[in-house]
Amino acid sequence: MVEKDQKEHGFYEVFEVFSKRSHTSPMQYQFSLLAPNHEMAFILAQENFMRREPVVDLWVVKRSDIRKMTEEERDLLKRLDNKSYRLTKGYGYLRKKWREYEQRMFDEKEIFSWGETGDDKRKKRTGSKAK
Amino acid sequence: MSPLTKLYGERTEEEKYEYFMERIEAGEKIEADDWMPDEYRMALIKLISMHAISEIMGALPEKEWVPKAPTIHRKLGIMAKVQDEMGHGQLLLRVAEDLMKPYGKTRENIMEDLFSGKLKFHNVFHMEAPTWADAGIIAWLVDGAAIITQTNMLNASYGPYSRALHRICAEEVFHAQHGESIVLALAEGSKQQREMLQDALIRWWPSLLMFFGPKSAATTGSSKQDITIKYKIRTKTNEELRQDFLTKYVPRIRSLGLTIPDETLRYDEENKKWIYKEPDWNEFKKIIKNQGPKSMERLTLRRIAYDNNRWVREALQ
Repeated sequence: MVEKDQKEHGFYEVFEVFSKRSHTSPMQYQFSLLAPNHEMAFILAQENFMRREPVVDLWVVKRSDIRKMTEEERDLLKRLDNKSYRLTKGYGYLRKKWREYEQRMFDEKEIFSWGETGDDKRKKRTGSKAK
Repeated sequence: MSPLTKLYGERTEEEKYEYFMERIEAGEKIEADDWMPDEYRMALIKLISMHAISEIMGALPEKEWVPKAPTIHRKLGIMAKVQDEMGHGQLLLRVAEDLMKPYGKTRENIMEDLFSGKLKFHNVFHMEAPTWADAGIIAWLVDGAAIITQTNMLNASYGPYSRALHRICAEEVFHAQHGESIVLALAEGSKQQREMLQDALIRWWPSLLMFFGPKSAATTGSSKQDITIKYKIRTKTNEELRQDFLTKYVPRIRSLGLTIPDETLRYDEENKKWIYKEPDWNEFKKIIKNQGPKSMERLTLRRIAYDNNRWVREALQ
């Protein structure tokens, strides 16, 4: 792959660019670009993809260092829908059951709200955005 | 002069510390290769390696129930849960390893510290799980308690741990529901099944209270809660988390007609606090020193697996 890329682009190699919009957001794939080395790839990535949007972190990876899946391999990722015992949807009947005991269901939304501080809750109520 | 006006490379250690504290106060995330005070790194290593090992040791009492689960559906469910726990152990060991890198340490050292008794694992995983109802209570209430402590750290200042916890907590939702499903089936079952459930609750109650740790270092001699709160790894104290647990779970336990083995347990409306009988903290100290009912057996099981697979690790080096 490296040889092929270099034959195609000579001085340049293909870099894949990933960036993070905020400290709590996931690393996200942006796009690819051509650059002679990692340092130039950083500069070009900022010029190409981060002219306006906020960014707190940036990764550049040589495409030749990434082992991508082939179309045939991707085909094997498809799942059969037979794992309800492993999923919360397989336990959806609990909502009705707990209601019989006059209790609320602890679903994902409820459980994740336990981690919120008073601040987060106020922001949610007033509709202002979290930092 | 604010450290921000100085180039990064020119900052003194004090200025780096000041900048570090400013960052975490602002809700930024610290990443593995960022500068961090030793106290922060040490507290994280201790917390996360203990958490990682507890996930793995916690799979042991539950895996005992895989071959004995009452139906094929239950067997698939509990197998999926055991798999998740081992997966959580792997996620967390990676987080701990990245933190230990400057000290030249790896998961091998974590495992050796576990065997030597230097690294402790959670009090609940030293206990017996003699009946199927215990498997239900573990998934419902032990995982419930874990969810309370782990959601409290979802916004931890250390990015890699916070991200691991988001994934772990999402899977814990399934664990809790899997537990509720077992418990509700028993609660609505025969007299014998209800008695089995009640007995399991009696067995687990003191361990559940201990789960959150002592109120302060005065109770057991040491506690890291002040440091973890100072560095915004978590926000609530051990006691606040225990109170949250009681608020969320006592009404549910009682709604099923189960009796909590503590006659003094009540909610004090005036002080907005649960009053409860303190568990035996001397017993707690003994348990986490590997003198619990199942401590040695489970450590031996882990050690056998470790020794049997030694040749694989050596062959790969």
